[in-house]
Amino acid sequence: MPDGPAPGGDPPDATEHTPSGGDPPDATEHTPSGGREAGPTDGPGWTDRAAVVRTWQDLLTVATRELRTVVRTPALLVISIAFVVSVVGVAWAGTGAGGGFVPLTLDLLTFIEVLVPLLAVAFGYRSILGDRQTGELDVLRTFDVDRVAYVGGVYLGRALALVGLVVAALLGVGLLVPVLTADIPTFLAINEAVDSGVRYVRFVVLSVAFALVVLAATVAISAAARTVRTALALAVALVIALVLGFDTVLVAGIAGGAIPDDGLAVLVAASPNSAYRGLVLSAAVGVVGGADVTAGNAAVNLLGLAAWWLGSVAVAVWRVWPAVGETTA
Amino acid sequence: MAVLTPATTQWLAAAVAGVVVLAGVSFVLTPAGGASLRPAEFSETVTVGGTGVDQRRAESEGFVLPRAQVFYSGYRYVVGYVGVETAASALADGDASRQFGDPLTVYVSDLSDITPTLTDQGYVVAERGRHVGWATADTASFVVGSDAAIPSGPVAVPFSERADAERFAAAHGGEVIDWETLRATVADPLPGRLDRFEAATERLHSWGDRVAAAAADRRERPVGAVVGNRSDIPERIGPGRQLGEGVVAEPTVEDAIAAAPTNTTVYVPPGTHAVDQVVVNRSVTLAGAGNGTVVRGDGNGSVVHLRADGAAVADLRITGVGPVGSRGGDSRNDTVDWDTTVQLAYGYGDAGVVLDGAADASVSNIEIDTPASGVIVRESPRSAVTNLTVRGAPTAREGFMGAVLIGAPSLVQNSTFHDGRDGIYTHRADGSVVRDNHAEPGRYGVHEMYTSKSLVAENTVEDAQAGVIVMTRPTRNLVVDNAVRGSTYGVVPAGGDSYYADNVVVDNEYGLQVAGGRNVFVDNVVVGNDVGVRANEILPSNQVLRNDVVHNDRAVASTIGPLRVWAHGGVGNHWGRLPIADSDADGVYDRAYRPSGTVDSRLGTVRGATALAESPAVAVLRRVQQAVSGLRQSGVVDTAARTRPFDPDTVRNATDRRQNATRAGDEP
Repeated sequence: MPDGPAPGGDPPDATEHTPSGGDPPDATEHTPSGGREAGPTDGPGWTDRAAVVRTWQDLLTVATRELRTVVRTPALLVISIAFVVSVVGVAWAGTGAGGGFVPLTLDLLTFIEVLVPLLAVAFGYRSILGDRQTGELDVLRTFDVDRVAYVGGVYLGRALALVGLVVAALLGVGLLVPVLTADIPTFLAINEAVDSGVRYVRFVVLSVAFALVVLAATVAISAAARTVRTALALAVALVIALVLGFDTVLVAGIAGGAIPDDGLAVLVAASPNSAYRGLVLSAAVGVVGGADVTAGNAAVNLLGLAAWWLGSVAVAVWRVWPAVGETTA
Repeated sequence: MAVLTPATTQWLAAAVAGVVVLAGVSFVLTPAGGASLRPAEFSETVTVGGTGVDQRRAESEGFVLPRAQVFYSGYRYVVGYVGVETAASALADGDASRQFGDPLTVYVSDLSDITPTLTDQGYVVAERGRHVGWATADTASFVVGSDAAIPSGPVAVPFSERADAERFAAAHGGEVIDWETLRATVADPLPGRLDRFEAATERLHSWGDRVAAAAADRRERPVGAVVGNRSDIPERIGPGRQLGEGVVAEPTVEDAIAAAPTNTTVYVPPGTHAVDQVVVNRSVTLAGAGNGTVVRGDGNGSVVHLRADGAAVADLRITGVGPVGSRGGDSRNDTVDWDTTVQLAYGYGDAGVVLDGAADASVSNIEIDTPASGVIVRESPRSAVTNLTVRGAPTAREGFMGAVLIGAPSLVQNSTFHDGRDGIYTHRADGSVVRDNHAEPGRYGVHEMYTSKSLVAENTVEDAQAGVIVMTRPTRNLVVDNAVRGSTYGVVPAGGDSYYADNVVVDNEYGLQVAGGRNVFVDNVVVGNDVGVRANEILPSNQVLRNDVVHNDRAVASTIGPLRVWAHGGVGNHWGRLPIADSDADGVYDRAYRPSGTVDSRLGTVRGATALAESPAVAVLRRVQQAVSGLRQSGVVDTAARTRPFDPDTVRNATDRRQNATRAGDEP
């Protein structure tokens, strides 16, 4: 990578040891020796805040480096362009964009479900692994970057690029709708319940949430894997599981009688794709796609997505590098 | 990359988060839903079902037409129904929801507001000064089986208050039911509509038969006068003609007409008879010996005028017609109304025969060579034009109409029209019958303007710009059993409540056009056109089923407007043999077919289209196109495409004839 660890304007203090554990640094253990503005009279609360500020600044530094990496990786640019072309192509080839926001949402839904995991894998699967393999991770650790700052930075950097791409593509296509929709005759009464941009914006927000969750999962894979082959295998397995696996298992479970009908809503929420799809159908399509959308329980679906995100981030933070005890052993 | 510093990253993160949070506000906003929908003005709804005549009579006679309006989840406009049963049956049948989505809200007329009474015919009238409001269907009560009616039949009467419904039922009979029960009990209106169209076709055909029989009688009138010398009367009268008593002979056609007794024939022997303008102003028949009798005008104006009820002209040839097709150009000004303008434009040109206010008049077995029109029929009810042959000018620009019908119902049958502009042109000739004619015109075969309730049947048109074309917005026309070949447009409809059935359109640029509103297109055979069916109605209220559309370069081209479902009650159309499965062998393909779709339209014709049709991308797009179909733009879907033709014999004949024509064309 051309630009190695770029610690930015304020290099982190070279404390001897990184505090162990994945959680925010424990103030009692962490000694802010030589803290930039720390005075001897400062209470523990202030120390706490200084640590948070420092972590945040480290995180931003790492995120900046990730953004530069993304921008300078031609493969990612190509994939991003392919994504935008696919989304515009679906809007163009389908009949949705000419009909309104809800038909467009329905046209795009399946494609987003497949394309966003692929995109997230492309953006995320080598993120931490790459640093580890080039040895940059070890160099970074000598600056006493804590794991939250590092993982958070990697995630934030990649997420900014991914979310920016998804939002830009979807909102851009959404702008096509008024252009492609046939002129509405003024002599007819309009059924206002039918279509609304509000629903499409909801779809965009839900797609962003979905992208963030899947990106978290790929960053977790990147943190956990020690070789490119493992990372690739895990990433492919993740995409297959998301796009096909979970739902196939659910269908098989229902067919085999293993899943009771009233347990379906919860199990659907356990799959990020199904949770996302359910949320889109209930919040972004809703009444238009059929007065009684039985798309699962929105709250449970949200909970499912949140659990996936938290779990993935936790795994990433935990696995990014071994605890101190492990290294010395 | 110096632009990217941690500070900019922070700003970027804040900006992206800001956008997402702002977009998240959309979850707080509530889009309009079923409960917030208010009833629309009925005139602003997309009206489907019901008959137009009910609506017009209700407007002019001031009785109440119970109506319904439905807000569908997948249709941009509000759909209006005349008659609450129409709405109930549309909702009971799956087609409406396939096309428009689920009904969010249904409003029905609320007659609780108007204290209704019934007229002698059973029409509902409101108490003075009251207006019909709207009630939600779910909570309304309906009186069915009462004495209440609209012109097309008995009608269910909706009330918002059950007590009012019970009071009405007590006074006028019937029982009170709720919306659910009404939906469960109403019948599909389409079979009834088809029956009514068929009955109307029968009725007009037998009207045509009666008019034709009367015309045949006038051709059999005994000879009362002869043009020529008295001495050779018996020899010169053709075979089969009855000689009347006291036959007179006069030297000129005009004199003979003046001398003939009423209800006799004025016989014009073979030979060429130069005339200025012949006016038949009495109930006599001017008849020749067929082709051999030529009545030659002086090349100015029209040649024969029928101006009396029961006047007739038969069995002769007419030449020397003036060259003026239309006198509209110079007499058009702002002070005359549109009708006069059209009449002047089309009804006062030069013609071989002009019928003017001549009821029960007839033109039979006449040949006319004309640079302008052949026969012009103005305001002559029950007049008949049979076995006419018109040879017009070589181009449409120079020539004019073969036969023009204006202002009254007339019959044109068994006639042939060559060249000129249009074969048959009608203007406000409501109730006319145009049948069994053949045209090879410069422009249109049969051209109807402002003409309703007419029958256009069994005509054949070749090499025209359009075969049968209906313009303006007429209603209740019947266009059946016509055949159009080798033309630019086959059958072009307009208006509403009309019936286009059993037509055969072959080898045209555009075969059948689906246009207008509330029209029914059934049992047509569309073979070998560049574009088989052209869908350019704006509102999807036509019904298209049981048609055979095969061997066209493009089965369907559709223009603006939402999705049309061309199937009803599980019966669709035949689009040729498609590489789609019919696993249960019920004669209906397993999946819906989209004849206007990018990929489906190329199935079985373009290499690779079948493989592409099965691709996940196309499968996904096809699947989602079924969702909210009413919101999607332009397209036709047949949810019950048939594997076999509905009319295999006609399809085979049309296909064979095409192949023979191609083979003959290939020979040196």
